[in-house]
Amino acid sequence: MTTVGMLGAGGIATMHIASWLRLGVDVLVHSLEGADELVARHGRGEVVGSLDELLSRSDLVDVCTPTHTHRALVEAAAAAGKDVVCEKPLARTVEDTEAMIEACRRAGVALHPAHVVRFFPEYSVMHDAVARGRLGDLAVQRYDRHGTAPGPGWFRDEGLSGGIVMDLMIHDLDFARWNAGPVASVRAVRSGAEGSGTVAANVVLTHRSGSISSVGGVWSAGPVAFRTRFEVAGTGGLLRHDSADNPVTWTNGGSTPDRDGYAPKVAMGESPYLTELREFLAATRGGPTPRVTAQDGLEAVRIAQAALQSLVVDDAVSLEDAR
Amino acid sequence: MKVALMSFAHTHASSYARLLAARTDVEVLTSDPDAGERPAGESGGAALAAELGVAYVDSYDELLAWGPDAVVVCSENVRHRAHVEAAAAAGAAVLCEKPLATSVADAEAMEAACAAAGVPLMVAFPVRFSPVFVDLREQHAAGALGRIHALSGTNNGQVPAARAWFTDPALAGGGAVTDHTVHLADLADALLGGVPAVRVHATANRLLHPSLEVETAGIVTVTYADGTNLTIDCSWSRPASHSVWGGLTMSVVSDAGLVDVDPFAPRVSGWSETDATELWLGYGPNLDDLMLSAFLDAVRDGTRPQPGGRVGVRTTAIVEAAYRSLRECRAVDVETAGSMAVTAG
Repeated sequence: MTTVGMLGAGGIATMHIASWLRLGVDVLVHSLEGADELVARHGRGEVVGSLDELLSRSDLVDVCTPTHTHRALVEAAAAAGKDVVCEKPLARTVEDTEAMIEACRRAGVALHPAHVVRFFPEYSVMHDAVARGRLGDLAVQRYDRHGTAPGPGWFRDEGLSGGIVMDLMIHDLDFARWNAGPVASVRAVRSGAEGSGTVAANVVLTHRSGSISSVGGVWSAGPVAFRTRFEVAGTGGLLRHDSADNPVTWTNGGSTPDRDGYAPKVAMGESPYLTELREFLAATRGGPTPRVTAQDGLEAVRIAQAALQSLVVDDAVSLEDAR
Repeated sequence: MKVALMSFAHTHASSYARLLAARTDVEVLTSDPDAGERPAGESGGAALAAELGVAYVDSYDELLAWGPDAVVVCSENVRHRAHVEAAAAAGAAVLCEKPLATSVADAEAMEAACAAAGVPLMVAFPVRFSPVFVDLREQHAAGALGRIHALSGTNNGQVPAARAWFTDPALAGGGAVTDHTVHLADLADALLGGVPAVRVHATANRLLHPSLEVETAGIVTVTYADGTNLTIDCSWSRPASHSVWGGLTMSVVSDAGLVDVDPFAPRVSGWSETDATELWLGYGPNLDDLMLSAFLDAVRDGTRPQPGGRVGVRTTAIVEAAYRSLRECRAVDVETAGSMAVTAG
């Protein structure tokens, strides 16, 4: 039996614990707050009172804490000899990420960055087509990711989270690189009137191949439905997807807040978090290398950090300069 | 009203000619003397005029000697300046195909020539006349969006194949960045009330059509003086085998949330067994028709048609900065466009 030790009990931990329980592992949770509620909501799992106890009893550690705490916790897990799953971004800086990778290498443990968009089925089938050459040579990619701004707290503190670029847009920065290869230079812009609470950013990548990518992200102050879309074009054709355009059910007159009725489940099919954690768990048990590696996580942080530097200098930044 | 059409070089010329020919309130005369320079197989000249059902003369001198009230310029991009100046000198109101020019210097000279001649200059940006964009603009003007934070847009199409000059840098001035940046730059100009662009970055490649001499994919990022950012995907990335030329979309991030407009969304779609291709039957309004009507109404009423020469200068300045960014591999400041504020728009 495998025991997974989860650190943190916030939003992403909610997604992870459900998947871990589906995978049939024993789950321990340690968190500064919310651990009791997390376990109570899911009906299984055990709250442990200290980091040391969690590390000593776990086979695999899952770091679901705020970004700025990742390095110390991954290093502690590595020192305890445990494989680690770490939420994205691996860290706020390239320096911290490299230190985490080195600590895991020295300890001989695996480090799995949880870039879950690589496991979303619409993105996965698109990447498979690209990797099989169905689109030929990629020339231009576009990605968008729009949602309601996170509440006050560490997410909104750029020093702690890296802001919208490092926290939200890193998904698509990683994906663009997965499809089109290493990035040569980055140009980022970010707008958002002071005080309005809405943040909109765009990052343009020029890949070493000459391929180009545009990644847009929005944290809207007012509530908006979460939406993602992409279009990927190459010499062999193009693929596109818009989460707003592909409903498997559409209801008009079903359930309403004051009336019972037909209400489709929000999501159909397997949770991408389950797909992701199953792949990491299999690797820990001796299975194949997962589709995303610690090096991929580092390169994603490197691109995002270059984008943040581009915002500061208001110019394009080459990846070499950003190191 | 007498309306002259100079050149059939631009593919839009046929659309304008058919629309003008169908009107009962205008007389139409056309000329396309450079048709002989085009590669074999490209349409033009008297034969195309006959096909379009419009009268034709062999030279621009004859065309302008006819005394047109208005002239529509549809020549190759680099020839716009000479033709607009000739039309202005003949005392005609001018509608010039986009982009207005391939340099800010040319665009400003054209604006000055029209001002000196006392004739209006309008740039052919038909998308700003689409009802969905008009509605967006009006609601923004009424305050429904609050502040606009960011804009992004796509203007993707097939690589222009009907006319070789589109991919000849000597005649077009450039490729996809020249052809497809300006429509969205115009929409942003209209939404933001003419606030000038201050900083531009561009990246581009020729990967889709490596045999061409111009860029065929590009992403242009524009920062305006009020802090709004605009990202444009101007790529000719629509596959050549696609059943439709391309399209244009714009997304707006504002205090009121997210708004997307797609002027070409109204369509019936399906599949043709005969042609083994997707059927795509657009039923939206004819934007060229709406734009031409606005131009002709303004000429008739003696008002100043919009978008005017100033918009042409501002959008040209963005494209010029984009090419400087491409050459220098960095973000660049937009050269202050326009010492001469001869027109408001």
